[in-house]
Amino acid sequence: MRVLLLLCTALAAPSLAQSALPAPGQTAQGDVAVTIYNNNRALIEDKRLLDLPGGRSRQEFRDVSASIEPATVTLNGRGVGVVEQNFDFDLLSPAALMQNAVGQTVTLVRVNPANGAETRERARILAANGGVVMQIGDRIEVLRDDGLPARVIFDGVPPSLRARPTLSVTVDADGGGRRPVTLTYLTPGLGWAADYVALFDEANGRMDVQGWVTLTNNSGTPYINASTLLVAGAVGQANPYGRRYDGRYVPPPPPPPPPGGLVRAGTETAGRERLGDFYLYPLPERTTIADKQTKQVSFLDVKNTPAARAYEFRNGWLSTSDQPLSANTVLRFSSSRNQGLGDALPAGTVRVYQRDARGNPQFVGEHQIGHTPMGSDIGLVTGQAFDVKVRPVVEERTRISSSRWKTRMRYTLTNAGPRPITVDLVQAGLWGDTRIDSESLKSERLSADEARWRVPVPANGEASVTATFDSRY
Amino acid sequence: MRAFIPLVGLALSAQVQAQSVVTSPGPQRVAVTVYRDTDRGLQPLNLQWLGGYALVSETRRVRLPAGDSELRFEGVTAGIVPQSAIVTGLGPAVLEKNRDARLLSPGALLDASLGERLTLRRTSRATGKTVVQDAIVRATNDGVVIQTKAGIEALRCTGLPETLLAPEVPVGLSAKPTLSVRVRSPEPVETDVTLSYISNNFDWQANYVAELSQDKRRIRLFAWMTLANGDETSLADAETQAVAGKLNRQRVWIDPGERKPIQINCWPQGTTSDIPEAAPVTALDAEEIVVTGSRIMQAPPPPPPPPPAAPERDKVMAEEERLGEVRLYRIPIEVMIASRSQKQVALLERPSVKIERILKLRTYGGEFDQPLERVLVTRNRPAEGLGLPLPAGKLALFGEKDGRRILLGEGSIDDHTIGEKVEIRVGQAPGVRARQTVDSREKGDGLFHLTLTNDLPEAQTVEVELPLDAKARGAKLAKRDGWMLWRVAVPANGSAELRYRIGDQG
Repeated sequence: MRVLLLLCTALAAPSLAQSALPAPGQTAQGDVAVTIYNNNRALIEDKRLLDLPGGRSRQEFRDVSASIEPATVTLNGRGVGVVEQNFDFDLLSPAALMQNAVGQTVTLVRVNPANGAETRERARILAANGGVVMQIGDRIEVLRDDGLPARVIFDGVPPSLRARPTLSVTVDADGGGRRPVTLTYLTPGLGWAADYVALFDEANGRMDVQGWVTLTNNSGTPYINASTLLVAGAVGQANPYGRRYDGRYVPPPPPPPPPGGLVRAGTETAGRERLGDFYLYPLPERTTIADKQTKQVSFLDVKNTPAARAYEFRNGWLSTSDQPLSANTVLRFSSSRNQGLGDALPAGTVRVYQRDARGNPQFVGEHQIGHTPMGSDIGLVTGQAFDVKVRPVVEERTRISSSRWKTRMRYTLTNAGPRPITVDLVQAGLWGDTRIDSESLKSERLSADEARWRVPVPANGEASVTATFDSRY
Repeated sequence: MRAFIPLVGLALSAQVQAQSVVTSPGPQRVAVTVYRDTDRGLQPLNLQWLGGYALVSETRRVRLPAGDSELRFEGVTAGIVPQSAIVTGLGPAVLEKNRDARLLSPGALLDASLGERLTLRRTSRATGKTVVQDAIVRATNDGVVIQTKAGIEALRCTGLPETLLAPEVPVGLSAKPTLSVRVRSPEPVETDVTLSYISNNFDWQANYVAELSQDKRRIRLFAWMTLANGDETSLADAETQAVAGKLNRQRVWIDPGERKPIQINCWPQGTTSDIPEAAPVTALDAEEIVVTGSRIMQAPPPPPPPPPAAPERDKVMAEEERLGEVRLYRIPIEVMIASRSQKQVALLERPSVKIERILKLRTYGGEFDQPLERVLVTRNRPAEGLGLPLPAGKLALFGEKDGRRILLGEGSIDDHTIGEKVEIRVGQAPGVRARQTVDSREKGDGLFHLTLTNDLPEAQTVEVELPLDAKARGAKLAKRDGWMLWRVAVPANGSAELRYRIGDQG
């Protein structure tokens, strides 16, 4: 059988002009639908028209994802039964070619280095271990043992060796003819996240937000004219590291974004398509997702939503700081229908811009958000305030019993800005049974661990808060 | 002639091919705002590894045809964060933004030609004669397999000089990652488009030059804005700003594109001899390869350190403004931000700043004998001759002796806003020392004896910070910022002593 196949390819080889190569500029993909999840995974549905002979036949599927998870492939078509599916990754290379030629005959063309004259011989490959040993006529020779140029010409490529990993399916069709079949499979290498551009108008307390979905294709294959659907969520992945290693570097899937910035989770339902627990973001038009491409499509454009600047400072434990420390600047806004963006926000990065004195937008910080339901309150730390500083100082620390201490803290808050502000001052590290004996401003105990003061600081001025803590040592 | 069919390696749909491609080769105007690497702290700038970034805004004149077209932006920086790109001026015409990172490389050229017909050229070493024939690329995974009229062969496993020639560059491969937008316009338009994006590989800092007056009570303070561009793209005639302050950033992974060589692997090639085969390439060839390689690998030479020279008069001075919660410094003229270089522009100047030169020590007990640290202290107020935001950076302190400038010390400053106390450590004073011994220890208490000595012919002010529970004998300690402070003037060529106790007993 093998000899026969080799013969066939050998016969076909010289007739290059008639070789059945696909015409360039064509893809074997049919009507492609791509569904992309956040965790670097996608479901591909590819409807192709196949010319099937009646009965059993073996069909090769080209232009499937180079990172395909072969175990997830299913093929559906009316009157088409699947006998077996194969994923062949015995790849064609010079070494594999030589290994497969052991016991076969090849043509050897020796080139005279002095005058370029060629001499042809037929050689039988005996072994290809470490070096190639062959039989030419009645003598045994090592290939290129003399270091002189010699071309080895194989008669054909064994059918089991392929240029690329290839999916093939043996089908049993109930009759011959052209019919649509649907190929579906999962592939890693496709993922998406959101990117938001927020232009903050501080003077008017307003913000314009544009949202873009950013999808990336590192799967090694382009998807031509695909209908694309993005799912805001990550479907469970049984064995994320169980992928076949194919020698290509595939960047690790991005870690799930931290639930940054969510102050209060919303309970409103956004006017978007949903499937199960997930929001769906279909792209408005069919598009070609090229390999190694990052593609962005707009999905959100909201003007004049309310937004405000806030200041936060968190002291980790009852300690003195050597320097006054900058307070965090926080951008507060809402995703609710009435007072905010009026949409659910898929996870991504929010980049905040403000206009400078000449009206040009300048970047003023960014922060990540997780999947945020509609109606949520969001507070994003975009950076540290240049002009708003807090200096926590331990004024006095005395032992009141063998296990309890009294600590008097003074927090000095300064504001070099031209507007009066309020700073949320948080003292953490209170460990539950720490009491505040006295304080110069009423605090709010956020949790067992944290207390918060809302401290008004005048423009170009200073404020201070003192508090005495009774803590266990 | 079918040999030179276009090499569309990875097929494109009819829809994409119907688009016209409009290329914008470069910006007409560019504005750049440089942001500091806030994690660098007070480390010096490293031009090979800049952790800051820049916001680049480019204005480009483009002419778009009616219908769908792809507008490609060339000449953007290599460090572009593609997710951050904003295109304004096209309105709702923008359908999508793309960034393609399939790079043209020898390996990618062959990969894209898989199954295509290329030209195989063999040159005879003996006669120089070339033989050209068609070949189909059959595999590029682990060595190159080609199909010729004769049969199946492996590229460059023969010892013959042979190479594959492609008729043209396959569609979709470019020299650099390319940013483009797909736009749909009902009619042909010519318009200005603004492309803004964040680019990595920039940084800046302030470099302060302080000149101490003869009476050592004042300094002339001058600061350079040192801008560094580690990118391979120069920004010419750029409207340039720098932002002082600490802004939050997220880490993003940016596909740099694959730079793939052609893999030439052959079958096992052992012979009966272990004497290596004569190199099949000539010495000239080998040299050429080495030169090219070293040019790629060789890092640009490190830049000279910022000149601490005193500036001349009438410098172009940066203008400061408030931007949200940070500060923006604007260079009033357009400047060239050249690739892989740094640039200095005057940032601020204060002719006479009142300072106090003191020495500082902080002690927790224990024994030591060490020189004290020299610190310049002032307050960032108009009364002291300051009163303006001070962005973080390095400071060089100079004095003058017989008309010669002498470097007295170097230090660094973090961001300081107006009204703050500023302390700059500029080095150690080797002749002003502190020596501490333990007089006694009992039950967690310690009695310490601190001696300060001064070898200078002037009295020196020393601030010693002691823990809150320290109690001194015969000297008054003041409470300041969470420490007990002993402030003492050590007489010229003299000494001062303090005995103190740390602990409960007092």
